[in-house]
Amino acid sequence: MRRLTGVIGAALGLALVLASCGDGKSSSGGSGSGSKSEVIAIAADPLEYINPLNENGSPGIQIAMAMFAPLVTTDPNTGKLQNVMADSVTPDKTSQTWTIKLKPGNTFQNGQAVTAKDYVDSWNMTAEGSNAWKNNGFFSKVDGYEALNPPTADGATPKPTAVKTLSGLKQVDNLTFTVKLKVPFSQFGLTLQYLGLAPLPEEVRKNPDAYKRKPIGNGPYKLAADWNAGDDIKLAKWDGYKASAAPEADSITYRFIPNADTAYNEFLAGNVDFTDVPSTKVKSFKTDAPDQWVTSVSSGANYLVFPAWDARYKNPKLRHAFSEAIDRKAFADLVGLSDPAKGLIAPDINGYRADACKYCDFDASKAKADLQAAGGFSGVVNISYSTTSATGQIFAEAIGNMLRQNLGLQVKYTGKQGSEITELADSRKLDGLRFGGWGHDYPSIEDYLTPMFKSNGDANFAGYSNPALDAVLAKGDAEPDQDKAIKLYQQAEDIALEDMPLIPLYTKSNAYLHSAKIDPRVSKYVGVSALWATFK
Amino acid sequence: MIRFVLRRVLAAIPIGLVVTLGVYALVFAMPGDPLRELAGDKPIPAAVLAAKRAQFHLDDPFIVQYLLSMKDILTGHFGTTFSGGDIADQLRLRIPVTLKLTLLANAFQWTLGLFFGIYAGFKRNGWVDRSLLLTTLVLLAVPGLVAYFAAQYLFGVELKWFPVSGVLEGFPRSYLLPALVIGVLGFAGLARLLRTSIVETVNADYVKTARAKGLGEQRVLWRHILPNALLPVITFIGLDLAGMFGGAIITESIFNLPGLGQFMFQAIKLKEGGVVVLLSTLAFISFIVINLLVDVLYGVLDPRVRNV
Repeated sequence: MRRLTGVIGAALGLALVLASCGDGKSSSGGSGSGSKSEVIAIAADPLEYINPLNENGSPGIQIAMAMFAPLVTTDPNTGKLQNVMADSVTPDKTSQTWTIKLKPGNTFQNGQAVTAKDYVDSWNMTAEGSNAWKNNGFFSKVDGYEALNPPTADGATPKPTAVKTLSGLKQVDNLTFTVKLKVPFSQFGLTLQYLGLAPLPEEVRKNPDAYKRKPIGNGPYKLAADWNAGDDIKLAKWDGYKASAAPEADSITYRFIPNADTAYNEFLAGNVDFTDVPSTKVKSFKTDAPDQWVTSVSSGANYLVFPAWDARYKNPKLRHAFSEAIDRKAFADLVGLSDPAKGLIAPDINGYRADACKYCDFDASKAKADLQAAGGFSGVVNISYSTTSATGQIFAEAIGNMLRQNLGLQVKYTGKQGSEITELADSRKLDGLRFGGWGHDYPSIEDYLTPMFKSNGDANFAGYSNPALDAVLAKGDAEPDQDKAIKLYQQAEDIALEDMPLIPLYTKSNAYLHSAKIDPRVSKYVGVSALWATFK
Repeated sequence: MIRFVLRRVLAAIPIGLVVTLGVYALVFAMPGDPLRELAGDKPIPAAVLAAKRAQFHLDDPFIVQYLLSMKDILTGHFGTTFSGGDIADQLRLRIPVTLKLTLLANAFQWTLGLFFGIYAGFKRNGWVDRSLLLTTLVLLAVPGLVAYFAAQYLFGVELKWFPVSGVLEGFPRSYLLPALVIGVLGFAGLARLLRTSIVETVNADYVKTARAKGLGEQRVLWRHILPNALLPVITFIGLDLAGMFGGAIITESIFNLPGLGQFMFQAIKLKEGGVVVLLSTLAFISFIVINLLVDVLYGVLDPRVRNV
C-alpha cells in the first residue's frame, strides 16, 4: 500500500510541478494594470492578413475599424452622417457624380500624408478583378467597372486587364477626387463609411503581400508588437491620429477564440473584457454575468423564404396565408432575445416602420380562409434548415408545426449544410421553404431592399422580380432629398410585402458581456462597440 | 530486422495512396461550395470567385485536383489556404502544439494506466482493483465533449487552477488541463487491458514454475509476468498514440489550442481538400512510423514474431 500512495503522490506532484512552472507570464487578463487596456475576444479563426480592401468578414473589419479611419461615419448619438477623413461628400444634382474632399493634415502611420491619390489608387487596385480582393464588388456601381472585370469563363483565371483604372474615378487635386456612378444613387454617401474602402499608402500598394502582417493604417491604433499568423493582435494607440475623437483605450488585444463557448468561459474566468454571447448561452448569460451584459437591437432581419420557381407557391394569397399562420410572438420567444418582425427592415434603420406588414399578425382562421381563397396547397411543404446551426432543426420544426396545426398542411424537414442550401436556391433547385437573414453593409433602408428584392439583387434569396418595385427603387436611388428618398423606398417595401416573396419572422437582439472595467458604447444607431468603450 | 522494416515501408506506399485518395474523395463528395462557406452570407463578386476557383483548381475534375494536391505535397509546395493563410507557416505553428499536447496527454495516460493496471492485476479483487474497475467503467462512459467543457469550467473558470484556453502561458501550463482530461479519460482502456492481461499471465504455468523454482516475487513480476503481459498493451498503446490525432480535433477546438486538429476542423468545415489530404498524409505517416516501432518492439519482447 505504501508504494501505491507513493506513485499517486508522484503523479500529483508531477502535475503540480508542471502547473507551477509556467513561463512566468502573468495572466493576460483584463483586470489589473493601471493603463486603459482591454482584451476583446473574437469568436472566429485567427486572421491571415490585415488588408481592409481584401476583407469583408466581421473579424477583419473589426480590426480595420481600429487601425483604419473611414471617410465618414454614423454619429452614435444622432444617427446622422459625420465626416472623419472626408471634409465634404457632395453629390451633383442627379446623385450620379460625387465629389469627395479630404481634410488636410491627416497622415498614414508611416508619416506620409493621406491624399486623394491614395484613395483613387487603392480603389482601382480593388476594382481590378484579377487581384481577387474581396471588396471588388463594391465598385460595381462605378463607371468603368466592366473594363476591369471582363467576363471570364468558369475555371479560367481572370487575366490582368490592359485598363488599370476605373473611368468613373478621377483625382481632381491633392485632396479632392470624384466618383461617377453608372446610375444615380442617392445613398452613395452612406456607403462611404464602410471600412473596406480604407486607403492603402503607396509602399503597401506596391507590394500588398509584404505588408499583410504589418499594415500601415491611418486610424487610431497601430500594431503594438510584431504579429505572426495565429497570434493575437495587440494594438497600441497611435499619436498621429487627428481625424476625429479617438477611442479611450491605450491598448487593445484582440484574442481569436474560434469556439464561442470557450470565449464565453474565458470571460467568466476574468481573462477577457468583452465577448459576444453565443447562441447556446442566450438563456443563461444574465445570471452567469449579472450586471456585466448589454444588448442592442441588431441590424439583422430574419425571414422565411419561398422558392419563386416553384409554381405551388406562386399565388401571393397563399403566401399571405402562410404568414398569418405563424405565431411570431411564440417563435421569437423560442429563438430568445428576439422580437416578432412585421416589416422587411431592421428596427435600427432610418425609415423602419413597426407595422409595415399587413399580413404578419397571427390569425389562424384568416390564414385558413386565405389558403382556401388561394385554392389550397397540394403536396408536402418541405422546410430546409442548416445542419451547421445548433438550432436550425428546432426552428424548422416550430414553423412546420404552426403550418400543420393552423393550415392543416403536411410538412417535412430537410437538414443540409448552409452553403448547400444556398447553392440549391441559386440554381433554382431548392424544393420548399428555407430560412434567410440579412444585415446591412451601410445603414440605409435601401440596403435591405436592393440586395433582396431588386431583380437579380445580390442577396435575392427568393429569386423574386417585380418591375414595379425595381422602378420605385430606381426613383429612390435618383432622389437627392433623403427624406423623399426614404418615402420612395418605403413604397418599395410595401410592394414587396404585398407580393411577399419572403415572410418577415423576427429581429434578434445581440447580447454581449463586458468586464466591470469597461462600459461598451451602446448606440441605437451603430450597435454595441467594445472599441469605443469608456473606462471606469 | 532491416528487411522487415524496409518491407513495411514499401508496403505503406500503396496503402498511403489509397488512403489519401479515399480521404480526398470524401472531402470532394461533401456537400456545399467551399468559397460560399468562406464568404458566409455575403455575396462574392464574380471576378473574385473566378480567380479563387482557378487558383485552387476547384473546377477541375476530381482526379486532377487530387493529383495536383499530391504533387504539391510531394514537392513541398503547400501553397495557401482558401482564406489566404500560408500552409507551411501554419504547419510550423501547429505541429509543435499538437505534439506537446499528445505527448503530455500520453504521459498522463501511460503513467496512470500502467500503474493501476499492473497493481490491480497483481492484487486482483483487492479494493484498488474493485474501485479501478468501477471508476474506469464510469470514465469509459463519459463523452469527451462533456468532460472537456466541464473540466474547463470547473478548473479554469471556477477554481482558476489552469488557464481556460489558448497557449498564452506556454508549455506545459497551457497544455496541462486538456492533457490531464485526455489522460484520465484515456487511461481506463489501457488499465483494464493491462489488468486482464496480467491476471491471465499470473495464472500461467510458466509463472507457477518460476515460483516453484523459488524465484523472488519481484523477479517473477519483472522478468516473467510483465514482458508477456505487456505484449497486447504495446499494440494498444501504438494504436492509441496514432489515434490521438483524431481526438485532438475536439480537444483543440474546446481549449483553443492552435494545433493540427483545429486546422483539420477548419479545413473540413471549408471543404479544403488539399489541406485535409495534407494533414491526413501527415497522420498516415505518423501512424505507419508508430506502428513500425510497435512491431519492432514486439519483436524485441517476443522472439516468436521476429521472422513472421
